[in-house]
Amino acid sequence: MSEPEAPREPKPDYGFAHASEAELARILDFYQVAWEYEPQVFPILWDLEGNVLESFAPDFYLPDMDLFVEITTLQQRLVRKKNRKVRRLRALYPHVRIKLFYARDFRALMLKYGRAALVSELSGTVGQFAPGPVEETIDGSAGDLSGLESRAVPERRSRSARRRAARRAAAAYAAGSPSV
Amino acid sequence: MKPSPDMKQDVAEILLTEEEIRAKVAELGARITADYAGGELTLVSVLKGSLPFMADLMRQIDVPLRIDLMEVSSYGGAATESSGLVRILKDLSAPIDGRDVLLVEDIIDTGLTLNYLLRYLRGKNPRSIKICALLNKPARRLVEIPIDYIGFEVPDRFVVGYGLDYGEVYRNLRFVGVLRPEAYEEPSQP
Repeated sequence: MSEPEAPREPKPDYGFAHASEAELARILDFYQVAWEYEPQVFPILWDLEGNVLESFAPDFYLPDMDLFVEITTLQQRLVRKKNRKVRRLRALYPHVRIKLFYARDFRALMLKYGRAALVSELSGTVGQFAPGPVEETIDGSAGDLSGLESRAVPERRSRSARRRAARRAAAAYAAGSPSV
Repeated sequence: MKPSPDMKQDVAEILLTEEEIRAKVAELGARITADYAGGELTLVSVLKGSLPFMADLMRQIDVPLRIDLMEVSSYGGAATESSGLVRILKDLSAPIDGRDVLLVEDIIDTGLTLNYLLRYLRGKNPRSIKICALLNKPARRLVEIPIDYIGFEVPDRFVVGYGLDYGEVYRNLRFVGVLRPEAYEEPSQP
């Protein structure tokens, strides 16, 4: 039987900040969809001197689909900041395709795959592997997007930076276990 | 949670009645007949959910056709733990090289299974492959794949019936309905 080409070897050094990200990576691996974890950082807010005040690194990039995926399993009422980031990303980088995967989407995915019982331990605060870096708190409503397009150049995140950001949780994915 | 003896009690809302489904299947069959007039067709159904749709659709298509069945493992199923990769559980029973193939799906949501199947089938050198899905749930899409024939767009809710299951149950409902959350949620602890 000529099955599609085998996927990559497991990537034990790919860490995830959240159990839901590890679960989505397992699902993508299962269906042999290529992915990269936080491969790009998109500046989305600058000060008057042009210094980057706020950036956004979507969780996954699916190169075959040219699609970024950001997953958030916070309760819907708490995702305002994430929505704002995605809106700014879309405004500044209109060529970038991104899908925001909400808690309800993740829950539906788990339900579809008969893993509804795991949702609570893979979601929200419980699903975090460790406290992450303090997120910026700049309110997007203060930002005027006009004139910023020329500065909107995504950065390729360095390997060391990605590893620092991901180091906390590598073991969970490597173990292939949904448990946190 | 166990399904109710009367499965309809587990359904919160009927989205598509038996009559609506029947009319849509006839409409799809007429379109497919027109598009493949003068040719031959191989319908490939993906077990298990698309069986009722396939059975009804094939009888609404008036061109010579063959049917074939495939089954692939699903994430979270028994095969997940053994390999960690999607597997073909049942392959085609006849070659499709040089043939026009219509892949018949019950529902397309993430597109992950369909994406895998298309890659697999294209490797068998058919003359063409098109996709016919009874239900499309675009809100859940991760992999964008053009769908040639769509019966209905459905909202972002968990639907069962007419082949669609939850825990292998509800496939034999003659309509498509929204499953009550109580049918799949664990009861909350006191």
